Amino acid sequence: MENSSEDYRIQSFDVDTQKLLKTALKDPSSVDLEKVSNILVDQSLKDPFFSKEAGRICYTIVQGEAKQNNGTVFRKHLLNRLQQEFKEREETRKRSLQEWVCYVTFICNIFDYLKVNNMPLGALVLPVYDCLMRLAQPDALLNEEEVDCLVQQLHRIGEQLEKVNSQRMDELFFLLRDGFLLQEGLTSMARLLLLEILEFRAGGWMLSSTAHKYYYSEITD
Amino acid sequence: MSHRSGAPRTESRRSFRSSGPSRWSQSRKRGIDGNLRSHSDDDDAAADEGLYGGRQSSFRTPESAGPVARCARRPDWGSQVEDEEEMRKDVHRDMQRYRRRILGSEPGQRERRASSGSSGSCDSREGETMETDEAVLMRRQKQISYGKNTLAYDRYIKEVPKHLRQPGVHPKTPNKFRKYSRRSWDQQIKLWRVKLHAWDPPAGGNQENSLSDNIEELDLEDMVDIELDFPTLADPQDAPSSSVVEDQDCSATPVKVQKTEDPSVA
Repeated sequence: MENSSEDYRIQSFDVDTQKLLKTALKDPSSVDLEKVSNILVDQSLKDPFFSKEAGRICYTIVQGEAKQNNGTVFRKHLLNRLQQEFKEREETRKRSLQEWVCYVTFICNIFDYLKVNNMPLGALVLPVYDCLMRLAQPDALLNEEEVDCLVQQLHRIGEQLEKVNSQRMDELFFLLRDGFLLQEGLTSMARLLLLEILEFRAGGWMLSSTAHKYYYSEITD
Repeated sequence: MSHRSGAPRTESRRSFRSSGPSRWSQSRKRGIDGNLRSHSDDDDAAADEGLYGGRQSSFRTPESAGPVARCARRPDWGSQVEDEEEMRKDVHRDMQRYRRRILGSEPGQRERRASSGSSGSCDSREGETMETDEAVLMRRQKQISYGKNTLAYDRYIKEVPKHLRQPGVHPKTPNKFRKYSRRSWDQQIKLWRVKLHAWDPPAGGNQENSLSDNIEELDLEDMVDIELDFPTLADPQDAPSSSVVEDQDCSATPVKVQKTEDPSVA
């Protein structure tokens, strides 16, 4: 039974595109991989749901191409596209907060999935940190979607990021502490999210069971 | 924790803080509270400016002009990842070669090596205590490549053939497979780069003058420590297995370097 469409969450694409993607998964060298990478990036920037999941399909295509003919065409196009969007991130943010948040989610997802020999891609580490630092700036903390995005990414890849560059993580958390303590105009939800992530990291990238109860249990009156 | 006072103090605290931790704080022995810092050598193994960013490149030499590099790092992410992959393969291949050399040597040769000043380590044990952490090796290899990717290095290897190299006088590439602390390794790289500057192209002046100038700048104490870490191995020289590819391909790991990942080669 073919379960690739569920695994890779490509339901949001039109039928023809889904076909193309399925072919790319099975037989990468038979398709235009630059086109495929653009399709995936474009969708990730538009669709918050897909931006969280695109990493898996990208990884599979990268692996597939490598196995087939040791190729790196797809990966190269994907990364260069990511780089291009990274350069324009400030304009993207001004134009559309959602697109910016999708971008960060996407690049972090790629960072999570696209590993080489179980090691994260060196080229992405500083850019990912730059994105997270941007989300921790005073003006960004005022927007709940940005705070939410920030803490989500830290939950997913914080530990890995810290392992490859702890100094930057320290700097990020200086900003988060300052934001939590000093930033005026934060919503209480934003403060809650920040407090939780501060505790999460302090606990070694996990919450104690009591802290978990505090943040995640249903409150009964 | 005491209650925070009003705006002015927090403002100034924040502006101080916004500059981030001191650039050099990582290399200080004691923290600001006076206590010894734990040197998480392996934790920040990958936190190098070259590979994963972070820690300042404390291995830069004091030269004002800076090293003359042959070519720059490729700017696009796609290429950077490819270069990284290639470097990883090189490191693994070097590791195999090194292991074979160290573990596969004759008993006679082993004795000779042990008596030539190595700090007591028997070579049959060296294979077991060699550095194998990929992140560490990658970071070190990157540092070595920076040094070899210079005109000074090119001129040096052309000018001084291996059999004429004198320990202490001629620069010798640090052996990335030996166990060293982070600090010791970075110091070795620093000293090696400084020594290589003696071969900088014309503006650098006469070889002898530059060397003595550089040596004066160094803290003698550092030099003494480092010399002990640099045991001279009277190794049988391997014949290079692949030919030198003299192309102009500008990658982070120059192709030229790849043939000689023989740790005893400067």
